[in-house]
Amino acid sequence: MDPFLYLDRGTIVHRLDPRTKMILLLGAFVLAFVFPSPAYGVVVLALVLLAGWLARALSNLRRIWFVLLMIAIVTTVLWSIFGSGRTPLFWFVKEEALLYGLGVACKLDTMIIAGMIFLSTTRNEEIANGLVRVGVPYRFAFAVSTAIRLVPTILATGATISQAQRSRGLDLDSGSILQRVRKRLPLLVPVFVSTIRSTNVFSMALESKGFGAGERRTYFMQFSMGRRDAFALAVLALVLAAAFALRIMGHGGIEGFSR
Amino acid sequence: MREIFTMWRHTQMVVLTALSAAIYAATLIPTQFLPIIPGFTNVRPANVFPFVFGLLFGPAGAWGAAIGNLINDFFGTLGPGSIGGFIGNFFLGYIPYKIWSSFFRRGEDIEPNVATRKKLLVFGAIVVLASIVCADWIAWFNDALGLVPFAALGSIIAVNNALAGLILGPIFMVLLYPRVKRWGLLWTEIMPADEVSAPRLPRLGNVLLWIGGVGGFVVGLAIGLGVYDQGFAAAGFASGGAQGIGIGAGLVPFLILIVVGSLLLGGREQVEAAGEEGGELGPVRPSRVR
Repeated sequence: MDPFLYLDRGTIVHRLDPRTKMILLLGAFVLAFVFPSPAYGVVVLALVLLAGWLARALSNLRRIWFVLLMIAIVTTVLWSIFGSGRTPLFWFVKEEALLYGLGVACKLDTMIIAGMIFLSTTRNEEIANGLVRVGVPYRFAFAVSTAIRLVPTILATGATISQAQRSRGLDLDSGSILQRVRKRLPLLVPVFVSTIRSTNVFSMALESKGFGAGERRTYFMQFSMGRRDAFALAVLALVLAAAFALRIMGHGGIEGFSR
Repeated sequence: MREIFTMWRHTQMVVLTALSAAIYAATLIPTQFLPIIPGFTNVRPANVFPFVFGLLFGPAGAWGAAIGNLINDFFGTLGPGSIGGFIGNFFLGYIPYKIWSSFFRRGEDIEPNVATRKKLLVFGAIVVLASIVCADWIAWFNDALGLVPFAALGSIIAVNNALAGLILGPIFMVLLYPRVKRWGLLWTEIMPADEVSAPRLPRLGNVLLWIGGVGGFVVGLAIGLGVYDQGFAAAGFASGGAQGIGIGAGLVPFLILIVVGSLLLGGREQVEAAGEEGGELGPVRPSRVR
């Protein structure tokens, strides 16, 4: 199974400049924070889901629905316990605390879905390239993109070793969770050791290809901000302005909540 | 702190950052199905790596821990909380190599291994401190954003990190240290001394880190659990509805202490000690770009 969320589709969202997508993601995070009230939070969530529908990325929800559900439940329970308010609901739980918990649950799920849409529509290379273009040093972006690319390789090597040991009769599936973790750890040591061992060869290969030889790099992948980027950013600006205006007018808050 | 920027000049350190991040992320991802607070934190045996990689690879291990945790978030939970995770995990790898030599007297063996009882104890102490500091940053950040209460998240992160480091750390150190040393991949063998910050007041830095880390954690729990309402801890904090501001602002002095403490610590003495051990010519310095 591919551990990455990227879906190769030619939608309008996929074709946006990675910098635009980063700004949209940031905008979605800000938008999620504007309203504490769950009623308004649901509207923001609906907007993000609309973006996901446009990007044809909602199929990835199947992969993270359990995380989203657990976050929603746990957040609501935690804030109902740790929060306070004026209106008693049941036992020590106050209505405002429960509402705040629901609002935070909505907020967190919105932000995670926004992150999912970003990752479903942006390739690793685009993320690295976008990072460099917004001013992140190239070497840092290189380390991030290399690490992302290496993760499946390491996972696959680990799986191969596990399968090889299973074929020799090693039982990895019985016992408690801790026992299973204990059985798997020794199998992973060769993976870590061989990965670290490749450092020198990797470094030499990079330097032989001119890594860090010049101050300014050129890229195979070329991006430019076009009309559709300007349109997307204008829509975001409008939505943010409307949200802030509503909040300033006193909408979307939770009266009486305290922590 | 200088070396966390100058390390990017060295191709080997860049590669070590990428590899440590990849190993950390690849080990974190399969354990996402073992949740403690579902969606926020899970059983993380992989948390042993920031300590081990921090000690062995220095700043590359610290950056690797931060990037590795971010990549783990890329697999489903990317959000503003990822920023707190990035900073917290950076400190998880940063503190071990920074504070290591401040536990030893001048002239004592400061090689980053667990070959003696004292070194094993120091390793344990560092694991506990780095775990608490990491918990401070992540729980403070999430609480300040109003996402997860400090008391719920902080204690779990601290215990989770510390358990992985204390149980698995010495084993991985014994397994990895001799190999990493043989391959010339210890950070002290890659980076030249002039690119690493010299210790200013290492003992004081050590003490400040403990005060900042443990103090911030205790105060965070006290504010979060409402103990401040009962007595002296209330001083300086508004009560009632402003409690959220209490955690956000109340922990800032401790977080500043952590940063100041780490600025007072060095790292150059470790590079110089490695150079002396490598003979008159010092350790073999691989190529340095720029």
